[in-house]
Amino acid sequence: MNTTLTGWLLDVYPNDVNLTLWLIGDDGERHCFVQDFTPRLYAAGHAARLRQLWQWLDAQPVPLCLERTRRKDVFKGQATVLSVGVLQPARLDELFRSMLVAFPDLTYYDADISIPLRHAAAFDVFPLAHCRLELCGTKVLGIKPLDTPWELELEPPPLRILSLEPDCDPAHGDPQQLIVSHGRVRYSLALHSRTALLVCLAAEMRRYDPDLLLTSWGDTWLLPYLAQACRESGLHLPLNRDESQAVLERKEHTYFSYGQIVYRGRQVQLRGRWHLDRHNAMLWNDYALDGVLEMARVTRQPVQDAARLSPGTGISSMQFVTALQKDILIPWHKQQAETPKTAIDLLQADMGGMVYQPTIGLHRDVGGIDFVSMYPGIMVRFNISPEVPRAGTGVLTGSGQGLEPAPGEPGIVPLTLAPLLNKRLALKSALQTLHRHDCRRPVYQSLSSAHKWLLVTCFGYLGYKNARFGRIESHEAVTAYGREALLRAKEAAEEMDYEILHMYVDGLWVQKTGCKSPADFEALLADITARTGLPISMDGIYRWVVFLPSRQNVRVPVPNRYFGVFQDGSVKVRGIEARRHDTAPFIAETQMRLLEILAQAPDADHLGEVLPLAKAFVYRQLKLLRGGRVPVEKLLISQKLSRELGEYSSPSPSARAVRQMQAAGKIVRPGQRVRFLFTLGKPGVRAWDVPQPPDPRSIDLKRYRILFERAVDTVLTPIQNSVSVGVDCECLYLFPPSVCSLPHRAGLLG
Amino acid sequence: MGRTLPSATQVFLQEEAAFSRFRRALRRSDQLALDDLFGSARQHLAAAQYASHALPFEVFLLSMLLEEHKEVMHLRQLVEEQLSQKP
Repeated sequence: MNTTLTGWLLDVYPNDVNLTLWLIGDDGERHCFVQDFTPRLYAAGHAARLRQLWQWLDAQPVPLCLERTRRKDVFKGQATVLSVGVLQPARLDELFRSMLVAFPDLTYYDADISIPLRHAAAFDVFPLAHCRLELCGTKVLGIKPLDTPWELELEPPPLRILSLEPDCDPAHGDPQQLIVSHGRVRYSLALHSRTALLVCLAAEMRRYDPDLLLTSWGDTWLLPYLAQACRESGLHLPLNRDESQAVLERKEHTYFSYGQIVYRGRQVQLRGRWHLDRHNAMLWNDYALDGVLEMARVTRQPVQDAARLSPGTGISSMQFVTALQKDILIPWHKQQAETPKTAIDLLQADMGGMVYQPTIGLHRDVGGIDFVSMYPGIMVRFNISPEVPRAGTGVLTGSGQGLEPAPGEPGIVPLTLAPLLNKRLALKSALQTLHRHDCRRPVYQSLSSAHKWLLVTCFGYLGYKNARFGRIESHEAVTAYGREALLRAKEAAEEMDYEILHMYVDGLWVQKTGCKSPADFEALLADITARTGLPISMDGIYRWVVFLPSRQNVRVPVPNRYFGVFQDGSVKVRGIEARRHDTAPFIAETQMRLLEILAQAPDADHLGEVLPLAKAFVYRQLKLLRGGRVPVEKLLISQKLSRELGEYSSPSPSARAVRQMQAAGKIVRPGQRVRFLFTLGKPGVRAWDVPQPPDPRSIDLKRYRILFERAVDTVLTPIQNSVSVGVDCECLYLFPPSVCSLPHRAGLLG
Repeated sequence: MGRTLPSATQVFLQEEAAFSRFRRALRRSDQLALDDLFGSARQHLAAAQYASHALPFEVFLLSMLLEEHKEVMHLRQLVEEQLSQKP
């Protein structure tokens, strides 16, 4: 007899025969079901070769359903393909690998899409989707989603979270205790009496039966440690809820992305429940668990993958789901190469966003205005997608071009992005209206920052050479529209007599005498939106903002190094020491605190009153530093190892620290962070993550003092100039508008 | 992620480097003036990038000229103000 059951979808993965589904029922129970599912891959090529493939497939031991059909390749149009349905999903990969060996000349589609993603696309579900299952015994006959990932208010599923945390960083010391906590329960277990540990943990896992095992260093240390303890003692620890499946381990690796080297630690994934490691989750510090769950919902990746994968993989998955749902073929390998261009075409197209040189110095009453999610907004509004043809050569060169959407049906990229962008806009406007202490605020903020990373990467992925739905011309078109929009905004502002202090890709800093409140800028915002068709919003009005010069040359401005105080007293900093990861916490905190003291002045005219307070604070901090009273942890410098140790010609401080760690038997891979102290004498550094504690007397206080003074000077020099010398900005090259107002001067000349 | 063409800043630095022998042979005082000229060209890198001119050094020369002319305008105004204040 058929029954129905509603609940939240927890986990989907292939078993030996079909799929296993885990559901958190509305009744509070955890249910396990199976479901038949046939993932398909497609092959295209010469009819004769396809016939041979069919015969070859018929002889395979894997149960299949074969069919000749027509499908759409977005770049080539309709194509006749051989559709290969694999009745045992787990065997798809193995089958595809042998297909590739036997028929390497065919073109394959939909070949490397993960089973959970295919399942999500087929039933329009997502991790933690609230859905209704139609059941016959333990077999799922149908799934009906009851919500979508795009709702702002999602009913929170009753997740049972068990937290496991060693009492210290295993890379640094030797943990003695394991702190176990869930809800209000919190206790610790001794790590070294292994039998007691395993027995207690196993009992806790059975009694509490968590949905989520949230650990610190679980991927890299704790779960491997527990697994080894189990093997050695012969005891069993039910980490997986589905005990028929093995715990999944993935090896560590290092890769290069966006000019940075990235390290991904070892991973341990569970079946039937999730394991997340706070220290091995992407951007955990940015958006925590709410953000991870949101990432999984919108990208439809399983939660354990969504937490550990880059936003780039997330955006690809979203595109794959769109393609699967629209019956569009996903090429196994990208086949489009860049079309040849003339030198002039290349010269005009190969550009990034527009970045101005700001006017150095302190500026009062400055409006900071931003296009809201500019690049994704451009893709959605102007229908920019690799397969959508554009007028002319396919490249919008920028000058004198209109801002019109490409004609025709929306492409894959805008289709994928539109709901995400709308959700982000809705969240942003909700955040603006919510009360400061509203409990939804932190949740919305972490959702919004999860979206932000997806939207940021989607632009990069348009130009990424391996992206299946990427094309460099689309990438260039986006930046061309961006430059055009920014220049239109500049023209609008200048026509309304604003002075442009700075422009940075999607934001402008404008100033006009008498404009001090948001209402004063409304006409400008409306005009810019009318001219560009893109939403623009007020980031805030600065009481004052300082654009800093380069360290090498005080006359050369740096685009992204500034700090300022908004009218509500909040501080915004970019590019200065406090924002850099390699600044010692003590110095970063001093700089931020200094800015907070300066922010107490109601406007720039009152900076003179708070400056003595700021200086007194600096003096106190300096005294702490010189007296050796700053805790050692606050002086730690954290830097990424950028290459293998052997590749350094003259070892950087981080490389010297790594050498010490290697001597202590710890391995650091490129892309991993190393923490160290500057010390007196050779080698000048002392690695932090080695067993023996450092000698506080060996710390190179002089070096820290130089770094400290540099950070203080960054903030105080321009303020000091404004207060005591009366010079806000040195207009060495850029005149105040009063001087270069041309009609006035023409009159003088006449 | 890579660029096929160097950015305006990279082109600028290359052009500046190309004149290092010229700069070396100048008097110290002239060197400073030359550095100043390059500094003023640097103020307009965003515009130079947007112009995507085939001969970027022409744009840098024009940027230097632009800053020079602004300076002239500024000084001219100061002189005129001074002159008009005199009885």
